[in-house]
Amino acid sequence: MLKVNGVGKQFDNQKVLECVSFNVEKSNIMGLAGPSGSGKSTLLRCIQKLETIDGGAIDCDAKTGFMFQDFQLFPHMTVLENLIYAPNIQNKGKNQKKHAKELLQNLGILPKKDNYPGQLSGGQKQRVALARTLMMHPGLLLCDEPTSGLDVATTLDVVSLLESVKDMGITMLIASHDLDFLTKIADKIILLKEGCIICDVAPKSMNNPITYLKKYY
Amino acid sequence: MEELIPSILFIGKGILITMQLLIGSLAIGITLGILASILKYKCIAISFINRIISILRGTPVILQLAFIYFLVPSLLGVKLGIVGAGVITFGLNSSAYIAEILRAGIESLPNGQFEAAKTLQIPVAYMWKDIILPQVLRNILPAMTGEVVSLLKDTALIATIGGMDIMRSAQTIAAEKFAYFMPLCIAGGYYYAFVLLIECLGKKLEQGGQHAKS
Repeated sequence: MLKVNGVGKQFDNQKVLECVSFNVEKSNIMGLAGPSGSGKSTLLRCIQKLETIDGGAIDCDAKTGFMFQDFQLFPHMTVLENLIYAPNIQNKGKNQKKHAKELLQNLGILPKKDNYPGQLSGGQKQRVALARTLMMHPGLLLCDEPTSGLDVATTLDVVSLLESVKDMGITMLIASHDLDFLTKIADKIILLKEGCIICDVAPKSMNNPITYLKKYY
Repeated sequence: MEELIPSILFIGKGILITMQLLIGSLAIGITLGILASILKYKCIAISFINRIISILRGTPVILQLAFIYFLVPSLLGVKLGIVGAGVITFGLNSSAYIAEILRAGIESLPNGQFEAAKTLQIPVAYMWKDIILPQVLRNILPAMTGEVVSLLKDTALIATIGGMDIMRSAQTIAAEKFAYFMPLCIAGGYYYAFVLLIECLGKKLEQGGQHAKS
Protein backbone atom coordinates (compact mmCIF):
# COMPACT_ATOMS: atom_id res chain seq x y z
CA MET A 1 0.00 0.00 0.00
CA LEU A 2 2.82 2.41 0.89
CA LYS A 3 6.33 2.17 -0.50
CA VAL A 4 8.95 4.53 0.85
CA ASN A 5 12.13 4.19 -1.15
CA GLY A 6 15.39 5.97 -0.29
CA VAL A 7 13.71 9.12 1.01
CA GLY A 8 15.97 11.98 2.08
CA LYS A 9 15.08 15.36 3.50
CA GLN A 10 17.10 18.23 4.85
CA PHE A 11 16.32 21.63 6.34
CA ASP A 12 18.98 24.34 5.89
CA ASN A 13 21.81 21.86 5.31
CA GLN A 14 20.75 19.76 8.29
CA LYS A 15 19.87 16.22 7.24
CA VAL A 16 16.63 15.09 8.87
CA LEU A 17 15.99 11.92 6.85
CA GLU A 18 18.66 9.82 5.14
CA CYS A 19 17.81 7.14 2.63
CA VAL A 20 14.73 5.86 4.49
CA SER A 21 13.10 2.81 2.89
CA PHE A 22 10.24 0.61 4.08
CA ASN A 23 6.89 -0.79 2.96
CA VAL A 24 3.54 -0.84 4.72
CA GLU A 25 1.17 -3.68 3.83
CA LYS A 26 -2.58 -3.22 3.57
CA SER A 27 -4.57 -3.41 6.85
CA ASN A 28 -1.39 -3.41 8.93
CA ILE A 29 -0.44 -1.05 11.72
CA MET A 30 3.13 0.13 11.34
CA GLY A 31 4.78 1.89 14.27
CA LEU A 32 7.44 4.53 13.78
CA ALA A 33 9.53 4.78 16.93
CA GLY A 34 12.49 6.92 17.82
CA PRO A 35 13.70 9.63 20.14
CA SER A 36 12.64 13.26 19.74
CA GLY A 37 14.23 14.80 16.65
CA SER A 38 14.78 11.46 14.94
CA GLY A 39 12.66 12.47 11.93
CA LYS A 40 9.40 10.59 12.67
CA SER A 41 7.09 13.56 12.19
CA THR A 42 9.01 14.81 9.15
CA LEU A 43 8.64 11.39 7.53
CA LEU A 44 4.87 11.39 8.11
CA ARG A 45 4.63 14.96 6.79
CA CYS A 46 6.58 13.93 3.67
CA ILE A 47 4.16 11.04 3.08
CA GLN A 48 1.21 13.42 3.49
CA LYS A 49 2.94 15.90 1.10
CA LEU A 50 3.08 18.60 3.73
CA GLU A 51 6.84 18.63 3.07
CA THR A 52 8.67 18.03 -0.17
CA ILE A 53 11.34 15.32 -0.32
CA ASP A 54 14.88 15.97 -1.49
CA GLY A 55 15.53 12.44 -2.76
CA GLY A 56 13.96 9.02 -3.20
CA ALA A 57 10.31 8.24 -3.84
CA ILE A 58 7.08 7.76 -1.91
CA ASP A 59 4.48 5.63 -3.61
CA CYS A 60 1.07 5.32 -2.00
CA ASP A 61 -1.90 3.75 -3.73
CA ALA A 62 -4.46 4.86 -1.12
CA LYS A 63 -5.96 8.12 0.03
CA THR A 64 -4.14 9.37 3.12
CA GLY A 65 -5.59 10.92 6.26
CA PHE A 66 -3.44 12.80 8.77
CA MET A 67 -3.94 13.17 12.52
CA PHE A 68 -1.89 16.01 13.96
CA GLN A 69 -0.12 15.76 17.29
CA ASP A 70 -2.00 18.84 18.51
CA PHE A 71 -5.22 17.81 16.71
CA GLN A 72 -5.62 21.13 14.82
CA LEU A 73 -9.39 21.14 15.14
CA PHE A 74 -11.04 24.32 13.86
CA PRO A 75 -11.75 26.20 17.12
CA HIS A 76 -14.58 28.37 15.75
CA MET A 77 -16.61 25.36 14.61
CA THR A 78 -18.57 22.91 16.72
CA VAL A 79 -17.56 19.25 16.84
CA LEU A 80 -20.19 18.34 14.25
CA GLU A 81 -19.21 21.25 11.98
CA ASN A 82 -15.56 20.16 12.21
CA LEU A 83 -16.58 16.75 10.91
CA ILE A 84 -18.91 17.71 8.09
CA TYR A 85 -17.29 20.90 6.79
CA ALA A 86 -14.74 19.33 4.40
CA PRO A 87 -17.03 16.54 3.04
CA ASN A 88 -19.79 19.12 2.42
CA ILE A 89 -17.42 21.39 0.51
CA GLN A 90 -16.43 18.43 -1.64
CA ASN A 91 -20.07 17.43 -2.21
CA LYS A 92 -19.56 13.93 -0.90
CA GLY A 93 -23.30 13.31 -0.62
CA LYS A 94 -26.17 14.46 1.54
CA ASN A 95 -25.82 12.03 4.41
CA GLN A 96 -22.70 13.55 5.90
CA LYS A 97 -24.45 14.69 9.07
CA LYS A 98 -25.87 11.21 9.66
CA HIS A 99 -22.48 9.59 9.00
CA ALA A 100 -20.77 12.09 11.33
CA LYS A 101 -23.25 11.37 14.12
CA GLU A 102 -22.71 7.63 13.70
CA LEU A 103 -18.96 8.09 13.96
CA LEU A 104 -19.32 10.28 17.05
CA GLN A 105 -21.65 7.68 18.55
CA ASN A 106 -19.10 4.91 17.90
CA LEU A 107 -16.36 7.02 19.46
CA GLY A 108 -18.55 7.82 22.47
CA ILE A 109 -18.66 11.59 22.04
CA LEU A 110 -22.04 12.17 20.40
CA PRO A 111 -23.26 14.25 23.40
CA LYS A 112 -20.43 16.69 22.64
CA LYS A 113 -21.48 17.29 19.02
CA ASP A 114 -22.55 20.89 19.64
CA ASN A 115 -19.55 21.78 21.80
CA TYR A 116 -16.57 23.76 20.59
CA PRO A 117 -13.08 22.20 20.70
CA GLY A 118 -12.09 24.61 23.49
CA GLN A 119 -14.73 22.96 25.70
CA LEU A 120 -13.31 19.42 25.27
CA SER A 121 -10.65 17.43 27.13
CA GLY A 122 -7.50 16.16 25.39
CA GLY A 123 -8.95 12.68 24.94
CA GLN A 124 -12.19 14.05 23.50
CA LYS A 125 -10.27 16.28 21.08
CA GLN A 126 -8.29 13.21 20.01
CA ARG A 127 -11.52 11.39 19.19
CA VAL A 128 -12.93 14.35 17.28
CA ALA A 129 -9.68 14.62 15.28
CA LEU A 130 -9.90 10.91 14.48
CA ALA A 131 -13.56 11.18 13.49
CA ARG A 132 -12.82 14.20 11.29
CA THR A 133 -10.08 12.27 9.49
CA LEU A 134 -12.28 9.17 9.09
CA MET A 135 -14.99 11.30 7.48
CA MET A 136 -12.63 11.61 4.50
CA HIS A 137 -12.54 7.79 4.11
CA PRO A 138 -8.74 7.40 4.12
CA GLY A 139 -7.12 4.10 3.12
CA LEU A 140 -3.96 4.98 5.03
CA LEU A 141 -4.14 6.85 8.33
CA LEU A 142 -1.01 8.72 9.42
CA CYS A 143 -0.97 9.48 13.17
CA ASP A 144 1.62 11.83 14.64
CA GLU A 145 2.17 11.16 18.37
CA PRO A 146 -1.46 10.19 19.10
CA THR A 147 -0.79 9.67 22.82
CA SER A 148 1.25 12.80 23.41
CA GLY A 149 -0.02 14.61 26.51
CA LEU A 150 -2.60 11.94 27.36
CA ASP A 151 -2.79 10.11 30.70
CA VAL A 152 -2.41 6.31 31.01
CA ALA A 153 -6.15 5.57 30.96
CA THR A 154 -6.74 7.75 27.89
CA THR A 155 -3.72 6.18 26.17
CA LEU A 156 -5.36 2.76 26.62
CA ASP A 157 -8.55 4.24 25.14
CA VAL A 158 -6.53 5.37 22.13
CA VAL A 159 -5.19 1.82 21.70
CA SER A 160 -8.69 0.36 21.54
CA LEU A 161 -9.82 3.24 19.37
CA LEU A 162 -7.08 2.63 16.80
CA GLU A 163 -7.71 -1.11 16.92
CA SER A 164 -11.32 -0.42 15.97
CA VAL A 165 -10.04 1.75 13.10
CA LYS A 166 -7.92 -1.21 11.98
CA ASP A 167 -11.05 -3.37 12.04
CA MET A 168 -12.54 -0.96 9.48
CA GLY A 169 -9.75 -2.10 7.14
CA ILE A 170 -7.75 1.10 7.42
CA THR A 171 -3.97 0.81 7.28
CA MET A 172 -2.07 2.94 9.79
CA LEU A 173 1.36 4.43 10.19
CA ILE A 174 1.80 5.72 13.74
CA ALA A 175 4.73 7.86 14.88
CA SER A 176 5.33 7.82 18.60
CA HIS A 177 8.18 7.88 21.10
CA ASP A 178 5.97 5.87 23.50
CA LEU A 179 7.32 2.31 23.04
CA ASP A 180 4.81 0.83 25.48
CA PHE A 181 1.94 2.19 23.37
CA LEU A 182 3.49 1.15 20.06
CA THR A 183 4.23 -2.43 21.13
CA LYS A 184 0.59 -2.79 22.21
CA ILE A 185 -0.83 -1.72 18.90
CA ALA A 186 1.66 -2.13 16.04
CA ASP A 187 2.13 -5.20 13.84
CA LYS A 188 5.59 -3.96 13.00
CA ILE A 189 7.79 -1.21 14.42
CA ILE A 190 10.66 0.54 12.71
CA LEU A 191 13.09 2.56 14.78
CA LEU A 192 14.38 5.84 13.42
CA LYS A 193 17.46 7.53 14.81
CA GLU A 194 19.04 10.67 13.39
CA GLY A 195 17.03 10.23 10.22
CA CYS A 196 18.04 6.62 9.54
CA ILE A 197 16.22 3.33 10.13
CA ILE A 198 18.20 1.49 12.81
CA CYS A 199 16.11 -1.67 13.12
CA ASP A 200 12.65 -3.11 12.65
CA VAL A 201 10.75 -5.60 14.84
CA ALA A 202 7.44 -7.42 14.92
CA PRO A 203 6.55 -6.81 18.60
CA LYS A 204 3.79 -9.43 18.79
CA SER A 205 6.26 -12.23 17.94
CA MET A 206 8.85 -11.18 20.53
CA ASN A 207 9.07 -11.69 24.28
CA ASN A 208 10.34 -8.30 25.26
CA PRO A 209 10.29 -5.89 22.32
CA ILE A 210 10.63 -2.78 24.48
CA THR A 211 13.96 -3.92 25.96
CA TYR A 212 15.17 -4.84 22.49
CA LEU A 213 14.21 -1.47 21.02
CA LYS A 214 15.64 0.49 23.96
CA LYS A 215 19.08 -0.97 23.23
CA TYR A 216 19.12 1.09 20.03
CA TYR A 217 17.90 4.40 21.59
CA MET B 1 -30.75 75.11 27.12
CA GLU B 2 -33.42 76.04 24.51
CA GLU B 3 -30.83 78.21 22.74
CA LEU B 4 -28.66 75.14 22.29
CA ILE B 5 -31.25 72.92 20.59
CA PRO B 6 -30.95 74.52 17.10
CA SER B 7 -27.14 74.17 17.34
CA ILE B 8 -27.41 70.53 18.46
CA LEU B 9 -29.78 69.77 15.56
CA PHE B 10 -27.67 71.63 12.99
CA ILE B 11 -24.44 69.91 14.06
CA GLY B 12 -26.36 66.60 14.23
CA LYS B 13 -27.08 66.88 10.49
CA GLY B 14 -23.35 66.40 9.99
CA ILE B 15 -23.71 62.87 11.37
CA LEU B 16 -25.00 61.73 7.97
CA ILE B 17 -21.79 62.81 6.21
CA THR B 18 -19.61 61.43 9.02
CA MET B 19 -21.40 58.06 8.83
CA GLN B 20 -21.15 57.95 5.02
CA LEU B 21 -17.42 58.57 5.34
CA LEU B 22 -16.98 56.02 8.13
CA ILE B 23 -18.99 53.19 6.53
CA GLY B 24 -17.69 53.81 2.99
CA SER B 25 -14.06 54.01 4.01
CA LEU B 26 -14.39 51.03 6.34
CA ALA B 27 -15.77 48.95 3.44
CA ILE B 28 -12.82 49.96 1.25
CA GLY B 29 -10.34 49.58 4.10
CA ILE B 30 -11.47 46.07 5.06
CA THR B 31 -11.69 44.83 1.45
CA LEU B 32 -8.28 46.16 0.41
CA GLY B 33 -6.78 45.27 3.79
CA ILE B 34 -7.85 41.62 3.47
CA LEU B 35 -6.64 41.48 -0.13
CA ALA B 36 -3.26 43.03 0.72
CA SER B 37 -2.71 40.78 3.75
CA ILE B 38 -3.54 37.60 1.79
CA LEU B 39 -1.27 38.66 -1.10
CA LYS B 40 1.48 39.44 1.39
CA TYR B 41 1.04 36.06 3.08
CA LYS B 42 1.23 34.33 -0.30
CA CYS B 43 4.33 36.46 -1.14
CA ILE B 44 2.66 37.97 -4.22
CA ALA B 45 3.73 41.53 -5.15
CA ILE B 46 5.06 41.81 -1.62
CA SER B 47 7.53 44.67 -2.15
CA PHE B 48 4.94 46.74 -4.06
CA ILE B 49 2.33 46.23 -1.34
CA ASN B 50 4.86 47.00 1.40
CA ARG B 51 5.85 50.24 -0.35
CA ILE B 52 2.22 51.37 -0.71
CA ILE B 53 1.50 50.53 2.94
CA SER B 54 4.64 52.38 4.01
CA ILE B 55 3.64 55.51 2.05
CA LEU B 56 0.05 55.45 3.33
CA ARG B 57 1.21 55.06 6.93
CA GLY B 58 4.14 57.41 6.57
CA THR B 59 2.38 60.53 5.26
CA PRO B 60 -0.29 62.69 6.97
CA VAL B 61 -3.91 61.82 6.19
CA ILE B 62 -4.63 65.50 5.53
CA LEU B 63 -1.96 65.48 2.80
CA GLN B 64 -3.44 62.32 1.25
CA LEU B 65 -6.89 63.93 1.33
CA ALA B 66 -5.64 67.09 -0.39
CA PHE B 67 -3.76 64.96 -2.94
CA ILE B 68 -6.83 62.93 -3.86
CA TYR B 69 -9.29 65.85 -3.78
CA PHE B 70 -7.19 68.43 -5.63
CA LEU B 71 -4.71 66.46 -7.77
CA VAL B 72 -6.42 63.21 -8.82
CA PRO B 73 -9.25 64.97 -10.70
CA SER B 74 -6.77 67.04 -12.72
CA LEU B 75 -4.43 64.07 -13.29
CA LEU B 76 -7.09 61.49 -14.21
CA GLY B 77 -9.88 63.77 -15.35
CA VAL B 78 -12.45 62.35 -12.92
CA LYS B 79 -14.60 64.38 -10.57
CA LEU B 80 -14.74 62.81 -7.15
CA GLY B 81 -16.77 65.17 -4.99
CA ILE B 82 -16.00 65.88 -1.36
CA VAL B 83 -17.49 62.71 0.13
CA GLY B 84 -16.06 60.54 -2.67
CA ALA B 85 -12.56 61.94 -2.12
CA GLY B 86 -12.96 61.43 1.63
CA VAL B 87 -14.16 57.84 1.31
CA ILE B 88 -11.28 56.96 -1.02
CA THR B 89 -8.66 58.71 1.10
CA PHE B 90 -9.77 57.37 4.47
CA GLY B 91 -10.45 53.93 2.94
CA LEU B 92 -6.97 53.67 1.40
CA ASN B 93 -5.31 54.96 4.57
CA SER B 94 -7.30 52.59 6.74
CA SER B 95 -6.57 49.63 4.44
CA ALA B 96 -2.84 50.07 5.16
CA TYR B 97 -3.41 49.79 8.90
CA ILE B 98 -5.99 46.98 8.54
CA ALA B 99 -3.57 45.02 6.30
CA GLU B 100 -0.91 45.18 9.00
CA ILE B 101 -3.40 44.22 11.75
CA LEU B 102 -4.57 41.28 9.61
CA ARG B 103 -1.00 40.22 8.80
CA ALA B 104 -0.23 40.04 12.53
CA GLY B 105 -3.49 38.10 13.05
CA ILE B 106 -2.71 35.61 10.26
CA GLU B 107 0.84 35.08 11.54
CA SER B 108 -0.45 34.45 15.05
CA LEU B 109 -2.51 31.46 13.83
CA PRO B 110 -0.74 28.09 14.12
CA ASN B 111 0.53 26.84 10.77
CA GLY B 112 -1.28 23.60 11.58
CA GLN B 113 -4.61 25.26 10.75
CA PHE B 114 -3.45 25.78 7.16
CA GLU B 115 -2.05 22.24 7.08
CA ALA B 116 -5.24 20.74 8.53
CA ALA B 117 -7.24 22.48 5.78
CA LYS B 118 -4.79 21.12 3.20
CA THR B 119 -4.95 17.54 4.50
CA LEU B 120 -8.76 17.73 4.43
CA GLN B 121 -8.52 18.90 0.79
CA ILE B 122 -10.38 22.12 1.49
CA PRO B 123 -10.03 24.44 -1.54
CA VAL B 124 -7.86 27.51 -0.90
CA ALA B 125 -10.69 30.06 -1.27
CA TYR B 126 -12.87 28.17 1.23
CA MET B 127 -9.91 27.78 3.58
CA TRP B 128 -9.46 31.56 3.74
CA LYS B 129 -13.19 32.34 3.88
CA ASP B 130 -14.32 29.74 6.40
CA ILE B 131 -11.24 28.58 8.32
CA ILE B 132 -8.58 31.29 8.48
CA LEU B 133 -10.35 34.67 8.31
CA PRO B 134 -13.07 33.91 10.92
CA GLN B 135 -10.32 32.98 13.42
CA VAL B 136 -8.13 35.93 12.45
CA LEU B 137 -11.02 38.42 12.69
CA ARG B 138 -11.89 37.09 16.15
CA ASN B 139 -8.27 37.48 17.29
CA ILE B 140 -7.88 41.01 15.92
CA LEU B 141 -11.20 42.40 17.15
CA PRO B 142 -9.63 44.63 19.87
CA ALA B 143 -7.15 46.09 17.37
CA MET B 144 -9.92 46.52 14.76
CA THR B 145 -12.10 48.36 17.27
CA GLY B 146 -9.21 50.76 17.81
CA GLU B 147 -8.82 51.20 14.05
CA VAL B 148 -12.54 52.00 13.57
CA VAL B 149 -12.36 54.59 16.40
CA SER B 150 -9.27 56.10 14.80
CA LEU B 151 -10.99 56.17 11.41
CA LEU B 152 -14.05 57.90 12.88
CA LYS B 153 -11.85 60.63 14.30
CA ASP B 154 -9.91 60.95 11.02
CA THR B 155 -13.15 61.65 9.13
CA ALA B 156 -13.21 65.08 10.84
CA LEU B 157 -10.44 66.06 8.39
CA ILE B 158 -13.10 66.23 5.66
CA ALA B 159 -13.87 69.69 7.12
CA THR B 160 -10.59 70.92 5.55
CA ILE B 161 -12.02 70.47 2.03
CA GLY B 162 -15.50 71.73 2.94
CA GLY B 163 -17.40 68.54 3.83
CA MET B 164 -20.34 69.36 6.10
CA ASP B 165 -19.68 66.67 8.68
CA ILE B 166 -20.05 67.04 12.44
CA MET B 167 -16.83 69.05 12.76
CA ARG B 168 -17.52 71.43 9.87
CA SER B 169 -21.10 71.97 11.08
CA ALA B 170 -19.76 72.92 14.51
CA GLN B 171 -17.27 75.33 12.93
CA THR B 172 -20.06 76.90 10.87
CA ILE B 173 -22.22 77.54 13.96
CA ALA B 174 -19.18 78.88 15.82
CA ALA B 175 -18.34 81.27 12.98
CA GLU B 176 -21.94 82.52 12.81
CA LYS B 177 -22.22 83.16 16.54
CA PHE B 178 -18.60 84.07 17.26
CA ALA B 179 -18.73 81.52 20.10
CA TYR B 180 -16.62 78.36 19.86
CA PHE B 181 -17.08 76.71 23.23
CA MET B 182 -20.59 75.21 22.96
CA PRO B 183 -20.46 74.14 19.25
CA LEU B 184 -17.14 72.38 19.82
CA CYS B 185 -18.47 70.74 23.00
CA ILE B 186 -21.53 69.50 21.07
CA ALA B 187 -19.34 68.11 18.26
CA GLY B 188 -17.06 66.47 20.84
CA GLY B 189 -20.13 64.96 22.52
CA TYR B 190 -21.32 63.45 19.22
CA TYR B 191 -17.89 61.98 18.44
CA TYR B 192 -17.44 60.62 21.95
CA ALA B 193 -20.91 59.02 21.89
CA PHE B 194 -20.03 57.26 18.65
CA VAL B 195 -16.70 56.10 20.05
CA LEU B 196 -18.47 54.64 23.10
CA LEU B 197 -20.96 52.92 20.79
CA ILE B 198 -18.15 51.41 18.64
CA GLU B 199 -16.28 50.22 21.75
CA CYS B 200 -19.46 48.69 23.14
CA LEU B 201 -20.15 46.85 19.86
CA GLY B 202 -16.53 45.67 19.76
CA LYS B 203 -16.79 44.26 23.30
CA LYS B 204 -20.06 42.51 22.45
CA LEU B 205 -18.47 40.89 19.39
CA GLU B 206 -15.43 39.84 21.48
CA GLN B 207 -17.70 38.25 24.08
CA GLY B 208 -19.64 36.48 21.30
CA GLY B 209 -16.43 34.79 20.13
CA GLN B 210 -15.25 33.69 23.58
CA HIS B 211 -16.77 30.18 23.40
CA ALA B 212 -14.79 29.40 20.28
CA LYS B 213 -11.38 29.96 21.86
CA SER B 214 -9.22 26.86 21.74
